[in-house]
Amino acid sequence: MSKQTPNRPKAATAAQPERRKVSTLWVIIGVVAVVVVIAAVIAIVASGGDSAKTAAGIEQTRPVTVSGTPLPQFESTTDDTAIGNVVPTLTGASFDGTPITVQPGKPTMVVFLAHWCPHCQREVPVLTQWAADGGVPKGMDVIGVATGTTPDRPNYPPSDWLEREKFPFPVMADSSDYAAANAYGLSAFPYFVVFDSSGKLVTRASGELDPTTLTTMLQTVT
Amino acid sequence: MSTDAVQLFTALLALATLAATVVFLPVAIRARRGHDSEIVRAVVEYRSLICALIAGGSMAGSLYFSEVAHYVPCTLCWYQRIAMYSLAIIAITATIRRETPTPYFIVLASIGAIISLYHWLLERFPSIDTGACSSAVPCTLVWFEKFGFVTLPFMALVGFVAILTVCVAPPKEVA
Repeated sequence: MSKQTPNRPKAATAAQPERRKVSTLWVIIGVVAVVVVIAAVIAIVASGGDSAKTAAGIEQTRPVTVSGTPLPQFESTTDDTAIGNVVPTLTGASFDGTPITVQPGKPTMVVFLAHWCPHCQREVPVLTQWAADGGVPKGMDVIGVATGTTPDRPNYPPSDWLEREKFPFPVMADSSDYAAANAYGLSAFPYFVVFDSSGKLVTRASGELDPTTLTTMLQTVT
Repeated sequence: MSTDAVQLFTALLALATLAATVVFLPVAIRARRGHDSEIVRAVVEYRSLICALIAGGSMAGSLYFSEVAHYVPCTLCWYQRIAMYSLAIIAITATIRRETPTPYFIVLASIGAIISLYHWLLERFPSIDTGACSSAVPCTLVWFEKFGFVTLPFMALVGFVAILTVCVAPPKEVA
């Protein structure tokens, strides 16, 4: 009688699930690797160049000179202790270098906008339509200030964005250290500052405003 | 690789993960009801490894965008990071130690998924928040968007949901 060697078949049987486990592991790793490689190839091929170019002479930030006492930081429209204060004068320029001054002399609403802020992106078409519908009171100036400008952030550059939206008001490009925004006490975007012809602050507001609120806000300003 | 290429790369990975999740979920649910499945056995066997790949990949992507691309994380981003980074560390450790701490995966991924979903909705509908952007880093800020809906919180949401789906598969002894 020949001797049986029962260990060998048993060992072979036990090794099978182990081998299967190893092969399953390699299948998982292989599938992940293939997906990663395909995604990388598509990403590299599809994202070649094509960076946005801005016309010559256009600058997204410009120096701004502030004269007068800065307004305290805005907290709330209802309990704004700054109402009645004379706003500081801002001397700067638009994206293309055209001089712009924000100063007493006419009732004025200054709108501070950031290109990356979704609420500003939604407010700009509202303001554009409001102006087209004749919402701006007679004798009132509306001036935009493009501030918070950061090349790393979305929807850059602001000059292209506001041109694309056909923003109807003159826009001052704030300085890289946001001198205009700081002088007017900006704490959130979009930010509205309204002053009368003597330069006294009438009201401030932040956040999206609808046309009715805008018109109501400006009704009593002289 | 440019930042734009990395954005597209991570978005494609997120979509691939989402597709795999959508395909796997019904199979995992069927397996829980007693229908044996080869793929579910494999996923259950390597649950910690799969979670480590998803959470580790998400963590690497998040670190790239904050440290290399300089996208400053907002408050909700930080909350998601707490969940995802913890998941990555636990899953990698569990893979090395050949453990499967499924309850930890489920708790962290659930918390992360809820925050990601809210953050993504906030990006879609900014008015559900305060209606204004803070001058620092508002949570409504969309750093980039691919295919019209894939943003950073969306990718995090896919990661959390994928981990939860992997955890839906029956526990080892049942599979």
